[in-house]
Amino acid sequence: MTLRLTGAPSFAIETSALTKRYGCALAVDGIDLEILTGRFFGLLGPNGAGKTSAIHMLSTLIRPTAGQARVAGYDVRTHRLAIRARIGVVFQELALDRTLSVAENLRFAGMLNGLSRAKIKQRGSELLEIFGLDDKLDTPVGALSGGMRRSLDIARGLIHQPDILFLDEPTIGLDLPNRRAIWRHIAQLRAARGITVFLTTHYLEEAADCDEVAFLGSGRIQLQGDPRTLVEKLGRYVVEIETEQPVELAERLAPRLGAALVEADRLQYLCNDEPTQLAALQSELVASVRAVRWRRPNLNDVFLWVNRPAGAQQRAA
Amino acid sequence: MMALQAVVAVVERELLKLGRQRGRLLAALVRPLLWLLVIGAGFAALENTRSPSNYQSFLVPGVIGMTLLFGGILAALSTVYDKESGVMRMLIIAPIAHHWIVLAKATGATVVALVQALALLLVLAVLGFVHWPTSMLLLVGGLAGTALACASLGMFIAAWSGTMDNFATTMNLVIFPVFFLSGSLYPVQRLPTILRFIATINPYTHGVDLLRHAGLTGAAGATFGAGLDMVVLVGFSFAALALAAMRFSSLGGNEPLVRRLAQ
Repeated sequence: MTLRLTGAPSFAIETSALTKRYGCALAVDGIDLEILTGRFFGLLGPNGAGKTSAIHMLSTLIRPTAGQARVAGYDVRTHRLAIRARIGVVFQELALDRTLSVAENLRFAGMLNGLSRAKIKQRGSELLEIFGLDDKLDTPVGALSGGMRRSLDIARGLIHQPDILFLDEPTIGLDLPNRRAIWRHIAQLRAARGITVFLTTHYLEEAADCDEVAFLGSGRIQLQGDPRTLVEKLGRYVVEIETEQPVELAERLAPRLGAALVEADRLQYLCNDEPTQLAALQSELVASVRAVRWRRPNLNDVFLWVNRPAGAQQRAA
Repeated sequence: MMALQAVVAVVERELLKLGRQRGRLLAALVRPLLWLLVIGAGFAALENTRSPSNYQSFLVPGVIGMTLLFGGILAALSTVYDKESGVMRMLIIAPIAHHWIVLAKATGATVVALVQALALLLVLAVLGFVHWPTSMLLLVGGLAGTALACASLGMFIAAWSGTMDNFATTMNLVIFPVFFLSGSLYPVQRLPTILRFIATINPYTHGVDLLRHAGLTGAAGATFGAGLDMVVLVGFSFAALALAAMRFSSLGGNEPLVRRLAQ
């Protein structure tokens, strides 16, 4: 373990110019991260942005092509087992044996992590209680609902009390109540144990509670920061206009409202105007467009504006 | 220490699964009994010998070997299925070097094959085909050595095969030739030269030969020395497992696996 000076920040994850190349495809293109211990970090981006490759390098399953990464103080190239002992990984696909029961899955995962049977039993029942599965101990995994399986998978990733939990799109394919339940459980765990959580997702509303987020696009970090600050910085309001002629209207409004984000028949503008001015705009346009409305921006807007096509007025793909 | 516990976990899981798949255990008993009772009697009739039980006595170590061969290879090949299910994700993220996954699965397959062979031995004893071995040491060595060699061969195949689609191919290209080109069904020394040569270099032949040395039936019929048999079995297992482990722990070999698992 690296010795650190007292008072120096302790990073759970540090990377510099971390790169992964598959043949000629660049999956991760030199990312720099410094994630403090105990933080809730979100790596956001569309499918294929490089999120999963980044998680796999950090969890020592694939070797970086270039750059450096330290996880829990250890180098991902040279101390793979030490890192794997200190991290929990929840993959996009379940890491469970469908033929075994809930208790048998936890025992298998616990034994692979060197826990005694007594420890597995004790921690297993604590985790199952948090995840609301304490009455399912002998149920085969194949008979659990999708949400329960995912909860069990996260419990499986936590059985050895890791310092860092990697969650790769943990709520993909789940309905809203199950997604909310899983986030409630994770918040509970963070409060109780103070573990660092590294999340990838493209459900951006789930990342709103992160301490810090980074937007990944084409393998590079496009924008990084506290999600609340990022949203605030984007602007006070988002004005949405629905119209039959988006391109023409965008050109007409450009001098007043600046660049537009064009999505099919919808124009979006960022603005800091007072609501009274927005009301004036609305009454001016209401005859010529289908709808005009304004609202507070959210993380989805940050994502859309970061990833908008080059030349803001281009029609979005 | 942690790696050894992982081996125990994998073996425990294999046994749990075997216990739940009653059909698998039944098949492991029916297949050799069919050979022994039906084909054995049929061949004896063809030979027109006065005492058909002679050929059946000769066949007993062969069908025990058969159980170990099918049991060991099929259990090891379940690794290919594991690769496509969540189990391999649990294994690759565990804090053990990846070559231990190969060793754990090979141990599990060996134990599963042994359990099936012991069940068969019990049935054979009840039917009066076997009696107490002349050498318990050679019996244990023969059973364990053959099971390990077959499990290692299965792991070797599993390390290179991508999907379960190769399953039927493996059955036809590996298990059947290994079985037929061995001393299970006929005495090696009486085979035509080419077949005798192939049977001699087939490690499984030496497993069955070692079982013949154990003297379960009274009919001897062993071709090679027991020492040579043991050396071949252990040497082959070591080589097959080392290659499978190298393939499995090389990141180049693992990366497509990791990428596929996580999609």
